[in-house]
Amino acid sequence: MRRNSPLVPYLFVLPLICLLAFVFGLSLIRLVEFSFKQVRGIDGPWIGLRNYELVLGQPLFWESVGHNLKLFLTIPIMVGIALALALLLYERLPGWRIHRTILFLPYILAIPIIAVVMKEMFQFSGPVNAVLTALTLDFMVLDWIGSADVALWTVMGLIVWRETALGVILFLSRLMALDESLIEAARLDGASWRQRAWFVLIPQMRGVIEFFVVISAITMLSAVFAYVYVIGGGRGGPGTATMVIELYIFNALIRTSLPGIAAAVSVMLFAVSLLLIWALFRVRRREEA
Amino acid sequence: MTTTARRSPTGAGLMDRRRLLQAGAGLGALTLTGGLAGRALAQTPTLDMWWWGEQELPGLQAYLDKAIAAFGEAQVTPMLQDTAVVISQFQTAAAAGEPPDLQYLWNGIYHMESVWLGYLAHLDGLMDADLLAASNHGPLSRFDGHVWRMGWYPLPMPWYYNKDLFDKAGLNADAPPATWEELLAACEALKTAGVEPFGGGVQDGYWAEWYITHGLSQNLDSVGDAVNLFIGDLDFREPRYHQHWVKLQELRDAGFLNKDMASLGLYPGIDLCVNGQLGICSSIGTRLPADAKTTNGRIGCMVLPVFGQGALAGRPVVDMQGMGIAAGSEAKEAAAAFLNFLNAPEQLASFWDATGWIPAASGFDDSVISDPSVKDLWTRWGKGNNITNITNLMPGQFYEQAAIPTGQNIITAGMSGEEAGELAARVAQEWRDFNPDLVEKYQQWASDLSTG
Repeated sequence: MRRNSPLVPYLFVLPLICLLAFVFGLSLIRLVEFSFKQVRGIDGPWIGLRNYELVLGQPLFWESVGHNLKLFLTIPIMVGIALALALLLYERLPGWRIHRTILFLPYILAIPIIAVVMKEMFQFSGPVNAVLTALTLDFMVLDWIGSADVALWTVMGLIVWRETALGVILFLSRLMALDESLIEAARLDGASWRQRAWFVLIPQMRGVIEFFVVISAITMLSAVFAYVYVIGGGRGGPGTATMVIELYIFNALIRTSLPGIAAAVSVMLFAVSLLLIWALFRVRRREEA
Repeated sequence: MTTTARRSPTGAGLMDRRRLLQAGAGLGALTLTGGLAGRALAQTPTLDMWWWGEQELPGLQAYLDKAIAAFGEAQVTPMLQDTAVVISQFQTAAAAGEPPDLQYLWNGIYHMESVWLGYLAHLDGLMDADLLAASNHGPLSRFDGHVWRMGWYPLPMPWYYNKDLFDKAGLNADAPPATWEELLAACEALKTAGVEPFGGGVQDGYWAEWYITHGLSQNLDSVGDAVNLFIGDLDFREPRYHQHWVKLQELRDAGFLNKDMASLGLYPGIDLCVNGQLGICSSIGTRLPADAKTTNGRIGCMVLPVFGQGALAGRPVVDMQGMGIAAGSEAKEAAAAFLNFLNAPEQLASFWDATGWIPAASGFDDSVISDPSVKDLWTRWGKGNNITNITNLMPGQFYEQAAIPTGQNIITAGMSGEEAGELAARVAQEWRDFNPDLVEKYQQWASDLSTG
């Protein structure tokens, strides 16, 4: 085969594709198959689209979807904070290396550890409310994890705190790789810090910001289980206030013996995640063009 | 003894003929002994036992280790399961044809679903009939004329009240409230004395389940009625079937529930009562020996004061944990022999020694119970006119999507008692839609329970 054949790049990735197909392919096929069956134990009769009908007709499913969508609100907040912190660190303020380590610390710690600690802190009789009371800020004392109106916001706060750390590191890495002569030129031209950030730095970080946004979107959709499991008392509570799609799947599979239902929701979640990844690639391709 | 060998001048490490013969004879004897032992081992059946319970009854593992070591008819290999996978792990293994021989089984639907799937063997004819009956397995282990589970240890479900706090509020600590009106009056007195009157912790959901255990049963005439609510023959929207949630709302509206109830878990909530910060809470009997000791006997036990009109109202609730044999086990007789062994009087005594708790079997000599609080609980709950825990009849879907959310939502003021009834009815319908194959089994079970 000639070196400039269009097939060559595909041959390079072929071993990895084979490996992925072996590891995930079979599971995916089974997952899709299960979604069309009324599974008891490890198999069951074919019931066509009934599982999908049941799921899509259940208010709890849509409530879970709504909560996942609400979690998307954290993405612009995380991008904003991560960007601001990365730009500050890039200015190499005194002690910036220590600050960088401190900022990244939450991301290194396992989610359940953070969530358990936070759960203790945010209990109604916990330290957070005690401090607020001591500061005579009683109006801010809330039932952070026990109130159906507040619990999801508490989860969102925890997610922002932890996941922003990844954004900071990604953004800072990109900043470190930029051509400093451009920034120096802007500085010599009299550009303020805000102008340098807005007109010189951020435009060059567009790619990494997009990447972080898509990664965060996938996280909000399919990787928040540990947060809601711990904060929501393992149930998505209080009531169903912190129920998300992952927990819905977990409950269907483990707690209510409905593997077919769990499979149907997993297939839908997988499809939406694929759509997001496709969107990312499309945006990147358009930019490159 | 020294192991230093004397070296031969003619060759390093060479043996003389006598030593060679001795070594040969020794090896032969070893081979013979090993072979006999191996054959004996091969004839001893091996049993896999998947169990749970150390989580709620510390000392159970120590007891089991001793029992297994003392059991001579089979080699038992225990595996402590994680709470989240007790059912699913067994069902998956059973479906794959590789179940454990012995499986720990929670009460009611938690093992009945495995019965319906054909994963469990009934114990009639396997276990000694007298021992099986004396194990007090409870009515929820019966289906289709058979018993599917041995009772292992009971879980009386009392409501705790703190006697010191009752004294502080000017209440009679020896006569806890028996009717709903008396409960409201006691709560008012406690509140006036600066004590949070009623509650616990509902954040992990279990309190909401236990509340249904005590509350819903007050308006049922038989255990089968509970199943009828799920299969649609009875309706949660009828006032008597959601009255318990209306009563919970009443406690909330009167400000009788502890303020941090929604953010506390079940056991920290019980601790409030034990530590003198809460008047009345829902608890479990296995805690009582330790809690009675902590409070010098100042924890009292009562049933949920009566508001309902059903035949089951006012009766103490006793749940039962158990053990069964997998249908796919290749050593059912040996497994049954082990279950029989666990019911032998000396094993029951050993259970008590290791756990400080009472085994289920009637053969247990309960004269060894010295703590007056535990003795009283056992007399009134264990030996009294008790009822089983009706939440063990709940389908998992109902449990997760109605039983727990309703209680939590009422307590956090997001829902009224009537709305809880609406939600329960809707989720029961959803369960029937999602599980048409199980509804028929439930109907038969309801029939068995109503007539049994």
